[in-house]
Amino acid sequence: MKASFLFGILLLVMVATLPAVAKDVRATIVYDDKATDINPAQTPDGTDQLWVTTADLTRATRFEVKPQGVCREELCFPLPKTHLTDFLHKQAGKEWFNLTAFAELVHQPMARDTATSTWYFGLRADQRETLASLRAPDFTLPDMAGKLHSLSDFRGKKVLLVTWASW
Amino acid sequence: MAQDTGGVKDAGKWITDAKATYTVLIDQEHLVSKLYNMVNVPTGVWINEKGRIVRPNEVAFIDDRFKNFTGLDSAPYLNALQDWVEKGDKSAYVMSEEQLQPKLAPPDANALLASAEFGLGEQLYSTGHLAEAIPHFKEAQRLNPKSWNYKRQAYKLSSENDYGTTFMKEVEKAGGTKVYYAPPDLPAKKD
Repeated sequence: MKASFLFGILLLVMVATLPAVAKDVRATIVYDDKATDINPAQTPDGTDQLWVTTADLTRATRFEVKPQGVCREELCFPLPKTHLTDFLHKQAGKEWFNLTAFAELVHQPMARDTATSTWYFGLRADQRETLASLRAPDFTLPDMAGKLHSLSDFRGKKVLLVTWASW
Repeated sequence: MAQDTGGVKDAGKWITDAKATYTVLIDQEHLVSKLYNMVNVPTGVWINEKGRIVRPNEVAFIDDRFKNFTGLDSAPYLNALQDWVEKGDKSAYVMSEEQLQPKLAPPDANALLASAEFGLGEQLYSTGHLAEAIPHFKEAQRLNPKSWNYKRQAYKLSSENDYGTTFMKEVEKAGGTKVYYAPPDLPAKKD
């Protein structure tokens, strides 16, 4: 009686920690306003999660999974050690990364279009926080001939930044 | 910075006609509006030689071509600009950190989500999925009703009919043309 009760509890715990059944999908990830096609990605049934291989993570976002966290150049976001399985799992010889959980971790807004399987990731908190410091956020954009200019190119001069539109 | 999802195709004519002697950039993803939390055009920001903001987002008319619509005279803004050019950080129009901080508040959760929905809509439009883009543009407009950029850019990419309204109806709903732009918060001119 006692044994079957314990087994019941164990089974419940196992079911609770098992990942939902994931299906392979083709997905377009838009990160830093650049689109990358991923095939396959995985979306566990009944969730809004998007899992990609760590190789595709780097291809789509330039972030890499390292021992110290998820990193791009000098920027590194440590993953919470107690919840590592929310972010990473191995399957069929590949390591998979939960990009939607990462977006939540770095306070990054996200939008999804189910019909086209497109996922858009907006500006992370670290990209939005410069305004409060009064530092003008830097950006790089093309002129009409396609030549790139950065706001920081104008350091040492006063800049009147004006937006306009054809509409 | 042309906030134009259509890129050179839409903004190019205006740039050519302006014969600009200053740097004109094309911002297809409305990145500058995202980074600076802008909601309308024209919006101006003053940035000093050290890359520090000294006046935040405000309407920035450099002539009076829309004066009949807005009721705004461009002269006070141009005078302020001239004063800053001459006096730099000592200009009376340069704001202190205390004045700037409340005007540089971060966007709320809905505005952040709106920026993602709008970005998704732009991506879908630019890859030929206009019908799929429209619900995301609508969601961006719902989540951040203060953004005229989200409304007007979306109308331009298809039609106001797709949104069941017109620009002028939206302006009237917001209180009319004379409050469509808040005037620049300029101190009285000192001689």
